[in-house]
Amino acid sequence: MIEEIRTKARELLESGTVDCVIGYERATDGINARPLFVYDAAGADRLIFDQTCTHNLVKYLRNRKDKVTGIVVKGCDSRAVNLLISEHQIEREKAYIIGVVCPGIVETGWNKKSDKLRDICQVCRQHTPVVYDFLVGEPPASEPEVEPYPDVAAMEAKTPAEREDFWREQSSRCIRCYACRQVCPGCYCSECFVERLDPLWVGIRIAPKENEMWNSMRAFHLTGRCIGCNQCERVCPMNIPLSLLNRKLEKEVAETFHFQAGMDAETPAPFATFEKDEKIGIGE
Amino acid sequence: MAVEFEPRIVGFLCNWCSYAGADMAGTSRITYPPNIRIIRVPCSGRVDPLLIVKSFQMGADGVLVAGCHPGDCHYSEGNYYARRRFAMLWPYLEYLGIEKNRFGVEWVSASEGKRFSQVVTSFTNEVKALGPRKAEALA
Repeated sequence: MIEEIRTKARELLESGTVDCVIGYERATDGINARPLFVYDAAGADRLIFDQTCTHNLVKYLRNRKDKVTGIVVKGCDSRAVNLLISEHQIEREKAYIIGVVCPGIVETGWNKKSDKLRDICQVCRQHTPVVYDFLVGEPPASEPEVEPYPDVAAMEAKTPAEREDFWREQSSRCIRCYACRQVCPGCYCSECFVERLDPLWVGIRIAPKENEMWNSMRAFHLTGRCIGCNQCERVCPMNIPLSLLNRKLEKEVAETFHFQAGMDAETPAPFATFEKDEKIGIGE
Repeated sequence: MAVEFEPRIVGFLCNWCSYAGADMAGTSRITYPPNIRIIRVPCSGRVDPLLIVKSFQMGADGVLVAGCHPGDCHYSEGNYYARRRFAMLWPYLEYLGIEKNRFGVEWVSASEGKRFSQVVTSFTNEVKALGPRKAEALA
């Protein structure tokens, strides 16, 4: 698998098809993976792929709009490519996508890795990339049938008061570092609502209510756009279960609009379109 | 002496239908509860979900959005987009711990003064029944 990626990257760089290949290399602790930008064929040997390659590299594509870039994507990451194409943030021709059939990513920490798959990978239904120019690995005959939202269902079973307390407790820990936003392939606004001073949507002070406003609206802005790579939760230094918010909206969008973000680049997002006679439980 | 709970309700009314409907209620001398504080917006499509969440965050007991009936939007399709957004916001608010009845979306046309009064009355009663939000205590 690794050899295939390296060979392909070398070939692309030597032929000049791409200017750069974005992939993974071994981090300095010898266990984790970190993003790698390869500009010359000789550097292609540093590329790796295994179950520690957790980053969603698609975020980098937007910064390289004018040059053709090769990129290594997993199943979930590939949906981010479609998302950015459908929102006119990148062009399909400017990306050479090396899709990898993802074995699932394990939980890692500094200097250690476990054998346990990340929660999100345990309920994954997209191991094979939805868009690619070159596929590495053998795609499974069919994607597994799993109950996709067990965590959300558990939250829904609580009473509103319990949920309010839960979210308040979680938000009270938020330090508003905005790592969740910086890592998100869908968060690319040049001016985020959280940085607006007039109107001041989110107050400057780090207080539970303000944090709650930020955490809840960050997720809401990804309604029908979140591709479920779970990077927000991975990078959260306070371990706030942010995916619970995103996945709730993902579930609602799937149930109401039968839509999954990033599965193709053509279907308009649910908020970008409407049907005149639809009955969706509002004002009826 | 126990004072009856009077909820604070923020009402976002579309300029072309619901706000005129509220006006109609007024000129027709139809009464409705004074709990609703009306904010006039150009269209129900203007009502950013941020406005609603912010209202709740700042202590509103209920938020009511009213706009033109589907098909009657002054800007042709603003309320269709609004409908989709609110269809997602509603379950989401409940998920965050804000009871479903605290948020309402209604279609009220300019001639429906009577209906506006009924909508506000029933919405106010629902919010009253839920009681104050305990979020008040939070800094």
